[in-house]
Amino acid sequence: MTEKGIKLGTMTLDGLDRAGGFDAAVRDYKWFYLGAEFCENLIDEAVCGEAVRLQGLGKKVCLLTPMLSEKGIVRLDAVFKKLLKLVRLGSIKASGLEITVNDFGAVELARQNRLPFKLNSGRLLYDNIFDGTRRMLKAHSALGFEFFKELGITRHEISTTGLRRRSNFTNAGAPGPGSRKFSLTLFYPYLNLTSARTCLVGMRDVEPEDSAKGVTCARECRICSFAVTHPSIKEKLVVRGNTVFLHFPGKFYRSEEALAALRVDRLVYCPFQ
Amino acid sequence: MKIVSCFTRLEELEPLAEAGADEFYTAIGELPAFSFGFLPFNRLRPAIEKAHALGKPVALAVNAIRSPSFKNPAAVPEKVRMIDAMGIDAFIVSSPHLLESLSSGGPRLRARLQLSSVQPVFNSMCAAFFARFGISRIILPNQLTEPEARKIVSFCRKRSIETEIFDYRFFGCAYVNGRCHLHKPVYYRLTADMSDGSMCRINADPRGLVGIRTLEAPARAKELPAVVRRLETRLAGGGAPRLSNAASFFDFFSSGVQYLKYGTRHDSLKFKVGKVKALRAMLDLAEKLSSSLPKTEARRAFIKELTRWDGGGF
Repeated sequence: MTEKGIKLGTMTLDGLDRAGGFDAAVRDYKWFYLGAEFCENLIDEAVCGEAVRLQGLGKKVCLLTPMLSEKGIVRLDAVFKKLLKLVRLGSIKASGLEITVNDFGAVELARQNRLPFKLNSGRLLYDNIFDGTRRMLKAHSALGFEFFKELGITRHEISTTGLRRRSNFTNAGAPGPGSRKFSLTLFYPYLNLTSARTCLVGMRDVEPEDSAKGVTCARECRICSFAVTHPSIKEKLVVRGNTVFLHFPGKFYRSEEALAALRVDRLVYCPFQ
Repeated sequence: MKIVSCFTRLEELEPLAEAGADEFYTAIGELPAFSFGFLPFNRLRPAIEKAHALGKPVALAVNAIRSPSFKNPAAVPEKVRMIDAMGIDAFIVSSPHLLESLSSGGPRLRARLQLSSVQPVFNSMCAAFFARFGISRIILPNQLTEPEARKIVSFCRKRSIETEIFDYRFFGCAYVNGRCHLHKPVYYRLTADMSDGSMCRINADPRGLVGIRTLEAPARAKELPAVVRRLETRLAGGGAPRLSNAASFFDFFSSGVQYLKYGTRHDSLKFKVGKVKALRAMLDLAEKLSSSLPKTEARRAFIKELTRWDGGGF
C-alpha cells in the first residue's frame, strides 16, 4: 500500500490552519514533509514544534534539509540538537521521524550528533544514483545504492515526470539495480530542474568590491512562486526562490502495481513546491 | 597560487606551459567526465610523458557524477587503474561510489584523488565527509565566497588537503553543477535546437517573461513589482547573482588557496593560451600588489584593476 504525504514547503502549519487546509491535510495524509528542501535561509527551529504537534495527531514526519553552507550547518545543528532533546523528553518518537539530506555535510552532521532518525537521500542528490528522461527512470547500478546503504540510507526521493515510466529496476543480476533493497518517495507535481546557491528572486546583486559573506534575502520566496515563459522551452517553468521547477499537472501513475514496479511506496504532494 | 589548465591535444601542452600553466588536466571519452572536450585515449600516455618532461603534473577528470553502469561496473575502476600505471598524477572524481571504490577497493592508487566541484563542497562537514576517501585536493564550486569557505580551507589545511578555485571570469554558472538538469532537454521539450549552455541565459526581452502564480502572502504584495523586475532581468541576463568576483578571488588568494583553474576544455588553443595568460596576469597582479601594499589597499587596487578588465577578447 502506497503511503501518502504532503510537503508544506514555504507554508507553515499555522499558515495551513489559517488557510483552512489543516484538517483536510491531517485527514488525507499520513506523512508531513516539513522544513527547507532547497534553501538554507529557510531552516527554522520552529519545525521541531510542528513535528511534536503532528506526531501528537498520529502523523509521521520527514524533515527536509537543503544544500548547506557553514551558516546552514550551524542552523541545522541547532535543529538536530533540539530534535534530540525532544526525543529525550519523550515529545518526539524517533521511529516516526525521518530526515532527508540534500548535502553530504548533513550526513556527517547527523553522524556526529548520533541522530536516531532514519536518513533519506533527497532530490538534490538524485544524480548520485539516478539518470533518466521523462519516460525512463534509470539507476546507474547497484553500486550507488550500496554506497548509500552503508550510510544507512535506503530511501531515495525523486520527482514526477508525468506518466512514464519504465525503469531498469528489473535488472536483478549482481550489479543490477534490481538486486538491491531500496524504496523511492515520489514528489509531485513539480520536478526540480535546477538550483542555485543564490536566490533568483531575493538576493541583491553582488558588487565587484564585495566578497559576500553569504546569501542574504528577505524571504521573498514566501510571497509567491512565478511562472516563467522560456522562449526555447515548450513547458512553462516555475521559479520559487533559488530553484526552477517543471510542472507535471497530469496523471502520473496508472496503478499501485505500476508504482510498486518503480519501487515507489510513498507519494508526496507538493502544493507549494 | 598555481595555475591548472585544461588541455585536449598534445600540441597544446607546450604553449600552455609557456603561457603560465603549472599543472594540466584533461579528460578522455573512455571514462565518464563532466562536460565535453576530450583527449583521444591513444594520446594520453604521450601527454603524460610530455607534461612530465615540462616538469608539470597532469590529472585526468573522471568526474561525471554517475556511478559506473551496472552493465560493467568494474570497467571504470579497471580503466582508472590502468591509467594509474601510465604515470598520471591525479584523478578528478565526483562519484562517491567511485571515490570509495578507488580509495578502499584493490591496491592503493599511485595517483592522488581530487574531489571535483561537480560534487560540490559548500561546508566543512561535507569536506570531512569526503576526506575519509583520502582525497588530496578539493576543487571548490564557484558558488562560494572566501568568507563562506574559510572553515573548509582551514579544515583542509589541517589535513594537508589542497584547495582549488576557478577563475571567476571564465567559469561562472549560477546553477550548481551536479544538481542541474537545465542543459539537457530530457525533462522538458525544446521549441528549437539550442546550443549547450544557453538555457541559463534566456536571451529574450525580459518584459513579459514572468507571471505571478497564487499570491501566498498578500500582506507583502507591494514588494512584487520590484521582485518581478529583478527576476525578469536575471532570467534574461545570466541567472541568479554570482558570488565569484574580483573581491572573492583576492580574498581566496590571500587566504592561501593553492590552485586556480581554467577548465573550458572545448576552447580552441588560441583561447586556451589567452585565458591562461589572463590567469597568469591576474595572479602576478595580486602578488605584486600584496607584496607592495597593505592588504586593504592591495585588495582595493586589485578590484579596481580587475573591474577594468574588459573580457580579454574571449
